[in-house]
Amino acid sequence: MKKSTIGILAIAALIFNACKNDETNNVVVNPNDYNVAVSGKIVTVKNLPADTVVGIGAQGPYGAGKYTFFSLGTNSKIASTDSATSNWDLAFAGTTIRINAGTSGPGNGGAFVYTGTFDALTSVPVDSTFRIDQAPTYAITKGSGKGWYNYDGPNNLVTAIPGRVLVIKTATGKYAKVEILNYYKGNTTPLSTATDSVKIYDSRYYSFRYTYQADGTTTF
Amino acid sequence: MKSIFQTILLLFLSLSVFAQNDTTYAPFSSMQEVVITATKTETKLGNVTMPISIISKKNIEQAGSLRLKDILQEQAGLSITNGFGAGIQMQGLNPDYTLILLNGAPLVGRTAGVLDLNRIGITNIKKIEIVKGPSSSLYGSEAMAGVINIITENNGDKKIQFGARYGFGNPNSGWATPLGKSVFKNTDFNFLFITKYKKANVNFSSNAFYLDGISFRPYSSERVTQPIWRLTNQLSISAPVNDKTNFSFLIRNGYDQIKQSFAVNNNGAVSTSYGNEINNDLNINSSLKHTVNEKIKSSLNLYATLYKGYQKLNFSDKPDSSYIDEFRQHLYRAENQNDVRLKNMLLSFGAGYVIDQAYSTRYDNVESRKQNQILYAFAQHEWTLSKKLIFTSGVRYDHNKIFAAAFSPKFSFRYIANKAITIKGSIGRGFKAPDFRQLYLNFTNNAAGGYSVLGSIDAIKIIQQMQTLGQISEIKDDYNKLSTLKPEFSTGINLGGTVFFNKNIQLDFNGFRNDIEGLIDVRQVATKLNGAQIFSYINIKNAYTQGLELDLKWKATKQISISTGYQFLETADKDELANIKAGRVYTRNVDGTSRILLNKEYVGLANRSKHMGNVKINYENKHGLFINTRLIYKSRWYVGDRDGNGLLNKNDENGEGYFLINVAAGKAINKKLNLNIGMDNVTNYQDVNYLPNLSGRMIYLTINYTLK
Repeated sequence: MKKSTIGILAIAALIFNACKNDETNNVVVNPNDYNVAVSGKIVTVKNLPADTVVGIGAQGPYGAGKYTFFSLGTNSKIASTDSATSNWDLAFAGTTIRINAGTSGPGNGGAFVYTGTFDALTSVPVDSTFRIDQAPTYAITKGSGKGWYNYDGPNNLVTAIPGRVLVIKTATGKYAKVEILNYYKGNTTPLSTATDSVKIYDSRYYSFRYTYQADGTTTF
Repeated sequence: MKSIFQTILLLFLSLSVFAQNDTTYAPFSSMQEVVITATKTETKLGNVTMPISIISKKNIEQAGSLRLKDILQEQAGLSITNGFGAGIQMQGLNPDYTLILLNGAPLVGRTAGVLDLNRIGITNIKKIEIVKGPSSSLYGSEAMAGVINIITENNGDKKIQFGARYGFGNPNSGWATPLGKSVFKNTDFNFLFITKYKKANVNFSSNAFYLDGISFRPYSSERVTQPIWRLTNQLSISAPVNDKTNFSFLIRNGYDQIKQSFAVNNNGAVSTSYGNEINNDLNINSSLKHTVNEKIKSSLNLYATLYKGYQKLNFSDKPDSSYIDEFRQHLYRAENQNDVRLKNMLLSFGAGYVIDQAYSTRYDNVESRKQNQILYAFAQHEWTLSKKLIFTSGVRYDHNKIFAAAFSPKFSFRYIANKAITIKGSIGRGFKAPDFRQLYLNFTNNAAGGYSVLGSIDAIKIIQQMQTLGQISEIKDDYNKLSTLKPEFSTGINLGGTVFFNKNIQLDFNGFRNDIEGLIDVRQVATKLNGAQIFSYINIKNAYTQGLELDLKWKATKQISISTGYQFLETADKDELANIKAGRVYTRNVDGTSRILLNKEYVGLANRSKHMGNVKINYENKHGLFINTRLIYKSRWYVGDRDGNGLLNKNDENGEGYFLINVAAGKAINKKLNLNIGMDNVTNYQDVNYLPNLSGRMIYLTINYTLK
């Protein structure tokens, strides 16, 4: 049942995408707005806000403390009221990415960070070990240089490390590969010479792309 | 590497073919000039076995240069860096690795390894000698890329000279009226007095330099360069004690006062701070030179230098608090050198003792003295096998109190192939001792996110303390690599020479390669609970720099001379290069997607221009008129990682390559009066982000009046 729903959704997405392609000349997407674009097997999400900064305190910038939940199966944000369900696969807040498993959610998820290119990863490697979230450690390791990003303290910039793929087992046990593209609004990292306020208030906007395998196999 | 030396070999071959057609001519008289820096003994330029260049007082005056930075930036193969003042990059090595000397004694007071070249006034000096390639075999630490030696005049004809210069510019509109609003002004006064008292030569000079702030933004009170006062006073005395002994004495004081007013941005919260920075640099150098007989000379040199840098800032939003940053360094040196001439050999040997002390608010406590003592000995053997062939070999041993000793050998030769071609080669080892900052720094930048940098000696202790207090959230792998710092070592090879195409055309060329081991890098070793990073220093990197330098001088007519210089430079961090070659490094396409980084996309170390060059055209007639144009070029240089792979490649953040054009002209009105006029940065080129100290077009007028 579920499989076919997703299939229909995927087809709908493809049709939608095709239509959109026809209308490219007419539709102007603000490059700073949250948007989802589907092209073949690859879904690209831009400017997904992730607990964006609302103020700066003694411990540095802070947000409202709310995660943004996202479903890889439906290509959409999920309301935070559904946080205790299996409806979401990834949750974002600041540089932390949680998966729907372990201490983070009721789902059957798992994840690990793969080194290599998104395109070259055509299937989940056989010897893979999926980790789950066990707060305070997470399947997608936190910390500069350890998971998906580098933090440059003196320049106050977070950069997604190229050649890192988040291999995800979704809440419902499907597989997906995710590449984080950027952490800043407009899919563009500010220059090191940009002002601190630009670096802070433009941060926590994820751009990423992924391929979701709806049929439950490990090939992408 | 291979290709560079192949190029040189090819150059040799093609030139030797050419040179066979050459007829007799008198070699450039410049080859007879006596230089000191390359061998620590007075040697004719034509006999020096390593790359050396000379900037004469006349060059400095005709270029209108006031500070050491002004003239060095016009030399091929030297690049000015912009962090922590104007630093010098030689043979692609950072400013930390070039030793700057005043009459053979080191200048101190570096910030983050950079000796600010703007601190050093050059209005009243005799000349500057620049030796490239490792010279630690004579000078010890820091002489890894080379040595810049500022040589002061200590005799000369009796005279009194007054000079004044007024310069002005407006970076916003490009053109300025001399006294107009939003115009920055540069005023410089100079006084020189040379006399003889009994048998003593007395030389006194005084220089005052004032530059008001330069604003890039119209109607903004924010100044990129803050108002600066710089004063230099210098007294030198040279007197014979008896027929065989000469005494010389130099005291020099440089004083800077820099007004500061800027916005401090702490995590987006802006507060304005204002205050003053004061630097004071005192050098006292006395030496006795004794000629025992024709064959033996001996000298004793006593040197002291005291540097103090002091900055005090007040904050507009917190009027009761202030921030003080103070750094003091005292260096005392005693050195003996003996030169023994035997037939076709010159043996020089000596020993010295250095006490180097530092105090800083950035260490644990400004009153706690950090001290290193260095005992060293050196020997050099210059062997003239024939008129054509000279071999020079030397070695120096430095024993440090607080870290490992260093042993620095060097071999070099000069061979005159024929009347047209001279070949030079050298291989030597250079080192740089860890400086006090790398050992003792204890600095937290509260104005930028609260990151800390700790010197290697205290890092483990401090982090362990913080850990017991529960202030550490994470220990990085590099923490386990913390240990006592060792000196950084390099091996430098230089191969080049001089070709006289005819009596009017001279080409100097040199290929170089420096391999540096155990380069000290700043690495994150831990993270605080609030996410702020803790950095420390580790001997971890291996790097190389290599390149080719060409310098062509052409005396086109009696009045016109043209010179052009060029440097090609390649650098790499060896570990980064190995990772790229193994396909383990990725980059991003324009759309943000990843791919494997190609070897050819790697650009090496930060802040290096691959191509640098200059063209200088000078007209000078016998009536004392000169006109010159100097064009300086630097290609793109990379400053920061943008794609997140931790190294620099072609799609990373960079400064655009640029041209600078400076022109000057002067005329001796009569024997007493001399007028110069010039324009620096004719095209008004500016780059606020990556060349913050380039001030836009400036016009200046200089008057010199001499009484004999």
